[in-house]
Amino acid sequence: MTESAILTRGMTKNFGKLVAVDHVDMDVPSGIVFGLLGPNGAGKTTIIKLLTALSEMTSGEAWVAGYDVHLQPMHVKERVGWVAAEVILDDELSGWENLWLQAKLQRLSEWKDRAEELLKYFQLSDRKKDKVGTYSTGMRKKLEIALALLHQPSVIFMDEPTIGLDPNTRRSLWELIHGVNKEFGITILLTSHYIEEADALCDQISIIDQGKFVASGSPKDLKAKVKADFVELETSEDVDEVKLRSIPGVSEVRSQGRAWILQVASAEEVLPHIFSTLKTEGIRRINVEKPSLETVFLNITGKRIDQGGSEVHDYRKFYGQIRRSRQ
Amino acid sequence: MSGENNGMSAVSKKTTSGDMIGQGSQFTGLYYRELVKTFRNPLVILITVVQPFMWLAFFGSSFANVPLYNVHLLLCNNGLDTVCDADLKSYTQFLLPGVLSTSMLAVGMFGSMSTIQDKRFGFMKRILITPTSKATVYLAKTLGSATRGLVQIPVMVVAALAFGVTIGGNPLQWAGWALALFFLGFGMCCMFLAVTASSTDWQTPGVISNFITMPLMFASTSLFPQANFPTWMQTISNWNPVSYSALFGRGVVVYGNPNWAYLGYLAIFATLMVVIGTIVASRYLKAE
Repeated sequence: MTESAILTRGMTKNFGKLVAVDHVDMDVPSGIVFGLLGPNGAGKTTIIKLLTALSEMTSGEAWVAGYDVHLQPMHVKERVGWVAAEVILDDELSGWENLWLQAKLQRLSEWKDRAEELLKYFQLSDRKKDKVGTYSTGMRKKLEIALALLHQPSVIFMDEPTIGLDPNTRRSLWELIHGVNKEFGITILLTSHYIEEADALCDQISIIDQGKFVASGSPKDLKAKVKADFVELETSEDVDEVKLRSIPGVSEVRSQGRAWILQVASAEEVLPHIFSTLKTEGIRRINVEKPSLETVFLNITGKRIDQGGSEVHDYRKFYGQIRRSRQ
Repeated sequence: MSGENNGMSAVSKKTTSGDMIGQGSQFTGLYYRELVKTFRNPLVILITVVQPFMWLAFFGSSFANVPLYNVHLLLCNNGLDTVCDADLKSYTQFLLPGVLSTSMLAVGMFGSMSTIQDKRFGFMKRILITPTSKATVYLAKTLGSATRGLVQIPVMVVAALAFGVTIGGNPLQWAGWALALFFLGFGMCCMFLAVTASSTDWQTPGVISNFITMPLMFASTSLFPQANFPTWMQTISNWNPVSYSALFGRGVVVYGNPNWAYLGYLAIFATLMVVIGTIVASRYLKAE
């Protein structure tokens, strides 16, 4: 038994020679929203499958809601809820029948009052008798969260909960997720490859790449680790690297084809100097990247999150070089 | 970390010890879901009913103009079954129990397809992320499919009466006949789902169905008595549960005097299949 909502030690999952989850250690305190941020294929969904006993780990240990996932999987399953990336409901059944089935699967005897209240909370009461197949995507997502909450779980796993949703629905779902965490006091483990989603929702984040946790902390702490801004610029005429290095506030310069990437202490302070220095070369394009979870990921892995495992040629080399230069 | 805040009602959970979790509630929910999904789909009902009816109408009528003497000559041999001249009024009467037995072979395929659908649409994950064992999922699927197969019985009997078939027996024998068909359908469902437990391919149930159904149908007493079979086919027929279901039904419909040992054989078949299938499914049933 443990006080943490989720605790893992050396959790590993291999698929043949592929190491999908590589010796992951997690310690998620109760009551927080914990984010797993990483590109597609990084191992986020596999971690959820391991923690919900849907898949057996190759090695390591894990406890969820105080129960050993390997030795007490049924007790774990009684205490967790799940919201899938793709909405998974029985479209042939009504909203109420889906709740009934969930109550049966979770062996609940007195559940109807809570189900009614959840439907009211998610504004689905008037559609409860309709077939779920007639619901909008947003309504289906809400019903799925209601199913996950019905048996009063200790932990809810949300696997890419807003993927495929339009921006408005996504933002309203963020509010709901935030509400579920704060008002119901439930620990939420959320996976996402949306930077802004993880930033907006999560109290703590672990960045995952190729099955490994490469950084962990609060969004604020993680962003603080990247102490620089990045300025990417492209000029009409050739520009001398020495000239760029001479600009006050520029600490690192790297060429990328016709473009240059400058590491600067503060983009706001350096931009006027850049414009004045490169007046004759003519700036065609300039892009400022402030510290964000994206730059944290870039800084550590040399990749952008939404570019998955693919290599980002000059960025990768550049940020890799900067990382190495710091070590 | 209980998630009981927000002033909402609490739910009651059944208590457990160790990691063993009762499965009655989960089974009820999943079994009900199978039935609801079946009976809310008019197309499934239509196919379930029409398919055996077509057999009876077209295949049964193929001997309509053959003199009864010739029908007796073909069907009334001494074999495993003992249909004789005095009781047999038409080929359709002979065929009715056989067609119902044959149609039970198909219900296994439907159960298997329903399982694969749940895997492909992710619903199996939704089920298995709750305290529901794979064995419970398996039993709910197989019993649900077998129950669906029973819908065919009253429809077929009514259709047979419309074709002028005389049906013998008494309520106890009819109940025994329904039970025999249930055992056959349940056993076949168990076999089908065990074979396809790890599959997620839509085509698998159809391929296996074609592979299994045809030999089991023709190497049985469903359509013809086995006395005319070659020896190797008689051997298959003697082990084929479809034969015993057809013979039991024929004993009711034609004679009004079934051999109850056949029901026992079918019960053993169903029990064997469910035990083996449960073991296989517990190990190999995949969530996706």
